[in-house]
Amino acid sequence: MVPSLGNITLWLSLLLAIFQFVISHKKNFYSVLQFNKIAVNGLLFCSLASFFSLMYCHIVSDFSVINVFQNSHTTKPLLYKVSGVWGNHEGSMLLWILVLTIFNYFIFKLYNQKNIIFISKTLEAQAIIIIGFLLFTILTSNPFDRMTTSHTNGLGFNPLLQDPALAIHPPLLYIGYVGFSAAFSFSVAAMSINVEEKIPWHSYMKPFVLAAWIFLSAGIAFGSIWAYYELGWGGWWFWDPVENASFMPWLLGTALIHSLITVEKRKSLQSWVLLLSILSFLLSVIGTFLVRSGILTSVHTFALDPTRGIYILTFVALLGGYSLILFGLKSKNFLNRHCFSFFSREGSILVNNIIMIVVCASVFLGTIYPLLVEIFSNNKISVGEPYFNSITIPIMMPAILVMGMGPMLSWGKADVIGILTKSLPSILLAVVISSIFFWVYRSYNMLGLAGIVLAFWIMSNILLTTFRQLNIKNKEVTQENIPKYSGGMIIAHLGVAFLILGITGSSVWQKEKIIRMKVNDETSIHNYNIAFKEVSEVMGPNYVALQGIFWVYNNKKNMITKLKPENRFYPVTNNSTTEASIHTNLSRDLYVVLGEGDVNRGWIVRIYYNPLVVWIWIGVFAIFLGGLFSMKNNLKKLKRLSI
Amino acid sequence: MQRILLAILFYLMTSQIVGINCYSVEPDEFLQNPKKELRARNISKNVRCLVCQNQSIDDSSAPLAKDLRILIRKKIEQDNSDEEIYNFLTERYGDFILLNPPFKISTLFLWILPFVFLGIGIFVIFLHNNKSKKLDYSK
Amino acid sequence: MKKKILISPIIVFFLILFVFFYLLIIDRNPSELPSVLINKKVPAFETKSLLENKIFVSPNEFRNETTLVNFFATWCKPCRDEHPYLIKLSNEKELKIIGINYKDDSKKAIKWLEKLGNPYSNVLVDSNASLGIDWGVYGLPETFIVNSNGIIKYRLVGPITKKNYHAFVLKVKEVEK
Repeated sequence: MVPSLGNITLWLSLLLAIFQFVISHKKNFYSVLQFNKIAVNGLLFCSLASFFSLMYCHIVSDFSVINVFQNSHTTKPLLYKVSGVWGNHEGSMLLWILVLTIFNYFIFKLYNQKNIIFISKTLEAQAIIIIGFLLFTILTSNPFDRMTTSHTNGLGFNPLLQDPALAIHPPLLYIGYVGFSAAFSFSVAAMSINVEEKIPWHSYMKPFVLAAWIFLSAGIAFGSIWAYYELGWGGWWFWDPVENASFMPWLLGTALIHSLITVEKRKSLQSWVLLLSILSFLLSVIGTFLVRSGILTSVHTFALDPTRGIYILTFVALLGGYSLILFGLKSKNFLNRHCFSFFSREGSILVNNIIMIVVCASVFLGTIYPLLVEIFSNNKISVGEPYFNSITIPIMMPAILVMGMGPMLSWGKADVIGILTKSLPSILLAVVISSIFFWVYRSYNMLGLAGIVLAFWIMSNILLTTFRQLNIKNKEVTQENIPKYSGGMIIAHLGVAFLILGITGSSVWQKEKIIRMKVNDETSIHNYNIAFKEVSEVMGPNYVALQGIFWVYNNKKNMITKLKPENRFYPVTNNSTTEASIHTNLSRDLYVVLGEGDVNRGWIVRIYYNPLVVWIWIGVFAIFLGGLFSMKNNLKKLKRLSI
Repeated sequence: MQRILLAILFYLMTSQIVGINCYSVEPDEFLQNPKKELRARNISKNVRCLVCQNQSIDDSSAPLAKDLRILIRKKIEQDNSDEEIYNFLTERYGDFILLNPPFKISTLFLWILPFVFLGIGIFVIFLHNNKSKKLDYSK
Repeated sequence: MKKKILISPIIVFFLILFVFFYLLIIDRNPSELPSVLINKKVPAFETKSLLENKIFVSPNEFRNETTLVNFFATWCKPCRDEHPYLIKLSNEKELKIIGINYKDDSKKAIKWLEKLGNPYSNVLVDSNASLGIDWGVYGLPETFIVNSNGIIKYRLVGPITKKNYHAFVLKVKEVEK
């Protein structure tokens, strides 16, 4: 019953989406609004019904549904039965569609007396996207297909995926990818109707882009957090093709947000906004394609199926072709209002945009290069971590430099001497703090030096910026050229500084120790002593585990913690996982993994000392908060506009 | 039932056949000379595990990865240079086994294009600069 | 000039899509590695034989006829599945097949061959994977076709099955010419 309900609502959604597309061609715009009300609400309702139908099937373990049979099992804990809904290809498409219809709804909420034509056009574009995804799901990946045989239990689920971070990682990512669809629709609408200047289409776009970007950041972060504590060697980014597929839209999204700010304040960089919103969305969909088509192998690939790949690719070709041709023809109507010099705030944003695009293009090149080589020669090469690191890090560094300076520059004109005088305090502050840092830690690695100095450079600038802002408020001086600093920017940029701190610390100064230990053996790593106290058996809900207990002492012989890494065995799927045990504080992570071994020979133990890792997660959290803050301000502004 | 499961667990933990039990490079493989061992680790980090998804042989638990790690250490003890070791591997497995793509004709574009992108970017900035110098700055 | 800038994204976009389309349409296995030993001479090696008391010296053995080299082990299930096809190849087509027992227990291997039949003219022992590495082997089973001049002409990764048996025989015939 319920699976049929799910299937019916899926088809209904398709009809409603087609309806939403068709009605936008009517001449009477007020009736278009009424019809859109039906379409948008209907779509939201149907996709919710469809999604929760699938969830119901998973929760009650209805193994007559192929999707449930292939991906679930009665012994899975409830949380993972729920997250299993989107942990497979077909279910994840339902989630994509749900988020598409949610954003569709919010676009609809923007209707007011003045923007009926524009919003209707936007909804038309959004409808095409929804139709494309619905067709793809129904025709190639329908989660409600039924089994021809009956079974009392399912094929279980990969224990590696039974994890809270991995449960939340896909929804966050999809909100990110789909959010860019709204930006895409706004851009296409703006171009195709040659939108009038008085309609603030970019102000409408901004909260959507902010939402997409912060959720994409969070999604990427949770994926990295999971990799960090699950995969067992203290790493959190591997330049895997699927990771790259999420990183590229993020880079373009960053450029897009900054361009939107520029358009808002100065009406410049409009064509950048149009192009970037199109490219971000296209990359999001191409990323989806790469993972699900079988064209690449990676740790992440879902069911590999070339026919699915052809569908998605055709869809991308149509969307991309139309929007880019439109861009080629119409972007000249969106010329810059004000010109700006290189040493202005717009100039710094332009530099940032260029760097983001160059990094994105390089990552894309590295990801697909093996495919190109395969076509043009019979050789197969691989492009891995060393390549990506050596290309992206040097190019990102100037971006960080500019990021520190940018917010202090004024809009429009250049004031080179002013810049130098303004930035002198922050340069000094950065040098002082960095020197203290190195005096305490006594390690002189060039890359590490660069990373730490850059991080403190940003923090110093933010400190001084905040100080100036408070100063201005106190004196109640209102001068036109003193830029106001948004709270969201301050928090988000601070987040980036923390991110760089964490990335530098954990990459450059990581220490590793791999040894064989018998029970009661002791070893040490960087001022800590670690004693292997015992090995015991532990039972979990659907696994059996071998657990090692390690007591950790600092150099003053005080016990800090007990670390308990486990090796788990899941009888249902017949595989094993290692669970690292981690002790975290602000200055470092201590990370222990239990390897193979036995009582006689001892066990292989891997111990990692990872300095400053937690600042990566703190940094992303701050970025999320900062973006949320900005979103709040933007929504307030939109409310004022609609009155 | 519990007993049986635990017995299976212990068996798996101590058996050699199931590849999951060799968790990446093991202390028994280490060379005595720390400099040579560091060389071995660095080379291993640049060699792809062919039966895994996107891992180096240094990180991988596969039997082939272990064989290659041991081979590399043996060659270091025999005083082969890094280049000789990489050549040995690519002669048998092709360029695919290297995680850092070599600098060859076929990978020319891979290494050069990022600089081309950067160049184009700087060019765009210059264009913009020139355009705005010709016009007045607005307040 | 401006036109060029505005048109270039479209051109790049369609070029990239074309690449992807092409890759999807052709028949390829993304995780398979092409052998770099194709059209090169058989690696020179010496090793002992499993069943006889001789030393096997490689260049000598690949002189007169088309030879197959098959890497196998008793712990490898697909090897067991392909075994009947190897027997078929050695009997019906009278092909000389050299087996290389990869990282295996010799006693187990002898028993295995006694039980399932021995299609090999000679079985070599590779106890530490050094032969496997010399031949670029990364997964069992793998079968190489070597021509009468000792040049490796083809490698099959994975077992010989009902599906690919005929294609494989055709490949052998091609090499024989």
